Amino acid sequence: MTLNIPSFNLASIGPWITLSIFAIAILLADALSPKGNRTAAPLLALAGLAVAGFQTISLWGKNGLDFARMVYVDNFSLFFYMVFILGTALTVLISLQYLKDYGKNLAEYYALLLFATVGMMLMAAGAHLIMIFLGLEVMSIAVYVLAGLFREDARSNEAALKYLVLGAFASAFLLFGMAMLYGAAGGTLFLNDLPGRLTAGFKPLTLLAIALLVVGFGFKVASVPFHMWTPDVYEGAPTSVTAFMAVGVKTAAFAAFARVFFLAFPTLMPDWTMVLWVLAVATMTLGNVVAIAQTNIKRMLAYSSIAHAGYLLVALVAANQLGAVSLMYYLLAYTLMNLGAFGVVILVGRKKDSYLSIYDYAGLGAQHPALAAAMALFMFALAGIPPTAGFVGKFYIFSAAVKAGYIWLAIIGVMNSVVSVYYYLRITVLMYMKPAEADLGPINFAPAVTATLLLTAAGVVLIGVFPGFLYNLALNSVKIFPGL
Amino acid sequence: MLINYLPILIYMLIAVGLLGVIVLLSELLGKKTHTVQKDIPYECGMDPIGDARSRYTVRFYIIAMFFIVFDIEAIFLYPWGVVFKPLGWFGLVEMGVFIAILAVGLAYVWGKGALEWE
Amino acid sequence: MTADSLLLVLVFFPLAGSLLALGAGYQPRLCRWVSLILSLMQMALISLLFFLDLQPHSGPTGTWLLAVDYPWLEGIGARFSLGLDGLSLLLLWLTAFLTVISVLISWTAINLKVGLFHFFLLFLEGCLMGLFMATDLLLFYLFWEIQLIPMFFLLGIWGHARRIYAAVKFVLFTFGGSLFMLIALLVLYVLHGHQTGEYTFSLYQLSQTPLSPTVEGWLYAAFLLAFAVKIPLVPLHTWLPDAHTEAPTAGSVDLAGLLLKTGFYAFFRFAFPLFPGAAQASIPLLLALGLVGMFYAAWIALAQTDIKRLVAYSSIGHMGLMVLALGIWNLMALSGSLLQLFNHGISTSALFVMVGMLDERLGSRNFQDMGGLWQQMPVFSAFFLFFALSSMGLPGLNNFVGEILILLGAFQIRPLIAVLAFVGVLLTVIYILRMVQDSLFGESRRVQPLRDVTPREVLILAVMALPVLYIGLHPGPVLRLFESSLQVMWGQFPMLARSLGG
Repeated sequence: MTLNIPSFNLASIGPWITLSIFAIAILLADALSPKGNRTAAPLLALAGLAVAGFQTISLWGKNGLDFARMVYVDNFSLFFYMVFILGTALTVLISLQYLKDYGKNLAEYYALLLFATVGMMLMAAGAHLIMIFLGLEVMSIAVYVLAGLFREDARSNEAALKYLVLGAFASAFLLFGMAMLYGAAGGTLFLNDLPGRLTAGFKPLTLLAIALLVVGFGFKVASVPFHMWTPDVYEGAPTSVTAFMAVGVKTAAFAAFARVFFLAFPTLMPDWTMVLWVLAVATMTLGNVVAIAQTNIKRMLAYSSIAHAGYLLVALVAANQLGAVSLMYYLLAYTLMNLGAFGVVILVGRKKDSYLSIYDYAGLGAQHPALAAAMALFMFALAGIPPTAGFVGKFYIFSAAVKAGYIWLAIIGVMNSVVSVYYYLRITVLMYMKPAEADLGPINFAPAVTATLLLTAAGVVLIGVFPGFLYNLALNSVKIFPGL
Repeated sequence: MLINYLPILIYMLIAVGLLGVIVLLSELLGKKTHTVQKDIPYECGMDPIGDARSRYTVRFYIIAMFFIVFDIEAIFLYPWGVVFKPLGWFGLVEMGVFIAILAVGLAYVWGKGALEWE
Repeated sequence: MTADSLLLVLVFFPLAGSLLALGAGYQPRLCRWVSLILSLMQMALISLLFFLDLQPHSGPTGTWLLAVDYPWLEGIGARFSLGLDGLSLLLLWLTAFLTVISVLISWTAINLKVGLFHFFLLFLEGCLMGLFMATDLLLFYLFWEIQLIPMFFLLGIWGHARRIYAAVKFVLFTFGGSLFMLIALLVLYVLHGHQTGEYTFSLYQLSQTPLSPTVEGWLYAAFLLAFAVKIPLVPLHTWLPDAHTEAPTAGSVDLAGLLLKTGFYAFFRFAFPLFPGAAQASIPLLLALGLVGMFYAAWIALAQTDIKRLVAYSSIGHMGLMVLALGIWNLMALSGSLLQLFNHGISTSALFVMVGMLDERLGSRNFQDMGGLWQQMPVFSAFFLFFALSSMGLPGLNNFVGEILILLGAFQIRPLIAVLAFVGVLLTVIYILRMVQDSLFGESRRVQPLRDVTPREVLILAVMALPVLYIGLHPGPVLRLFESSLQVMWGQFPMLARSLGG
């Protein structure tokens, strides 16, 4: 009996291995060291992310498959690796003081963040649908636990349970879709093989499979009508976890979404773009309109995140090179501006999230001008007002839509942006133009959070004014999609 | 093509039909007597009346989870043992990594005190 | 380093200066002086350009007196290109001049967050500099949107009682309008790219895109919507009285003197050259909107009891006359209309400044609380009369020249319209005179005496009176500036000249 062991190169999944080892090390260090000593965990997490970042950079430019064609090593996945690493590192920074205030600065938190990041990387790099599913589960399970981190808090429990139950549904849909696809494609789930197998005949099964995949991914990116969990989960979960979910999970889901649909179904484009067109319009509109009515800042940002899923779906609908580029650019920009905004929410919320109403922002401009200026910047960026990254991202997305001939979609997107200006602006109005009802009191400017705010604010402006570098990186990455 | 699945369809129709006939026949032919005892839901001989919310200590669950983890480890070890020779060093190292990861898990729960009953 | 690079300085000097003013904000006095000196330097720099004897020359972005062109958004085809012609130059000077005025009139009126206030003033100046020179449509759009931010804060933080309502209304109206322009811009960009294979936002190149009349009509309509909100044309004007009423004096000056100009400027500079066919078809619409604006504004202005609202409506009327001149489209009417752009910037701003001074003293802007001001504040009243007369077009003052040019131009080709416009101008006289009558003359209903203008205020008013007199008495040099500007434009956009006549 002989067994063929496929040849592989461990370096192509270097970042995954690094992050897993560091996550395990964090757990061991916590379990084996005396109680109460928890300063090591965040430092280890940051160190692991830094090493993974270097490995990613050293892989840049490679183009191929590894591990028996299971894993892509290409710039598309590496670009997303960098986004995940950035997002996770910033999440670690904003979490530290916040968790300390809750007495929940647990080592497991950081380990779970790293595990979730590994799952995201799997999703971005998977070359086989099962790999993508594995990545999705690794990420999701870690995030389910994170959402319920505050065990004593009923809302946190509710968030975790809702996310678990609905997430499991979504996974089932995704898996069911993959099974259908397996049948339709005649027994393969390799993304590279799928286009060749799907061209001939048997369309109903393929379409059903695509519809189920859309449902599965739609849950993860929080698109209407699969968004129901978003506001409750975002509101109930610890703020730092909400930030992580809003940027990390969404980015990973979009990376896989784009990869699967651009690579595997280019021949069926007319079919799925039509469905996504409707989803994009519904998602943008519902997200923006309902966000207007919110008075809890986390809930408002949850609906804003739904609306942004809608804009990103527009980029998928466009399904051209610029669309893919705009998707990547916008996801990075969104990571920066959203983490910045959540950083401000954490600082203003202070001990145990005592101040989460939007009216708690009244008078912030007078009493904490720098913090208010940062928040105003993030709000303008989310609204898409120049010269921020949000403007350039939206501009790329709408250009892609117009270029692909979807002028009405672009017009609807633009009208949605006008609606969104209203609720983003309201925060600014409250901060600068309404007096505080009472003295806001001191805000504990933890160094890590302050550093995050500075970094994200600088990033939002910098890539908004000089987007050329990122544009070229992203353009370089989307060459892998021959169908676009 | 879809036609290839025709035998399966026929098989399913026969199975469902047979079962339906049996149930229907017993419903029609059987003699029915109702008593209080007979109308109580059947539950493996347990008394079905009482508080459904009886509580176990959480430690049972933790132990059960450990058991499953190491159970699965054992299941993976069997097939590996069968192809131990052809896999050679590669298989040994792989299995070593696998066991090491589980061992880390054990060390973690041990360190956290989850194995202590009191 | 050529003179062309000066354009970059013009844009980035105020932007950098705004940060300096923000930094000096901890010391209000220092901050005021820093802002004053910075804005004076900017004004001096622009004044210098008048004496450089610039000649138009062709470049990749068209024919301009000065031009720069750098790569900006690579891959998309947007470039950082600025171009200066006579019209831009005059508007740049107006911007710098009014910024100086804004700093001066806020000297004692603004005591809250002084650093932030001057930051926004100078930031706005920088944005407008870029806006009046951009020759890349995306760059123009960028400046067009950014200018909302400082104006929003100026209105919202330092405004009067209903400032938040006014500020949000202002932003939603203008942002909403301009996003349609963005879509039209993208469509034009893609069409041009499909036809030529070259994706660009350059005004010069996009103006050569052949378009089917239907598409051209839609795109033009989107641009029209964006600019009509800003000008503002009558059905879309409702944000303006609110914004003016609630704005601090400096905000009103910037709004009336500069922001309204951007709408007209953009109309003239972008919408017409890009869509000459549709522009020609829209002439009846423009004439109608212009006339409706004039009559409607006059009618509403007569019913106002708030003096600031009255001045705001007079703004709408003046802008109506200018839009009407666009519909006439001959050299005389256009020169008059561009001159009016400048005149209105000076005269209406001056009126807003004076209304602000009055408000500071009286604590009210209601006509009921005025009357008989001449006895108590003769110097103030003399200046007020002067600017009011200028605004209604007294011969010898600036507005007369512009208005008479527009009316004469109109008589040459559309006498009926000219007669109607003349009636509209007469209506202006009525409500302006009523304003003067009700405020300066008649019985004084106040017991306490009012303080007359301070030396600082006299300085402001005297400085603002100079251009009024200069243009009224000697408009030749400015008109020659426009003439060369228009000739260059007609040469540059042959399709425009063919459709509408040169």
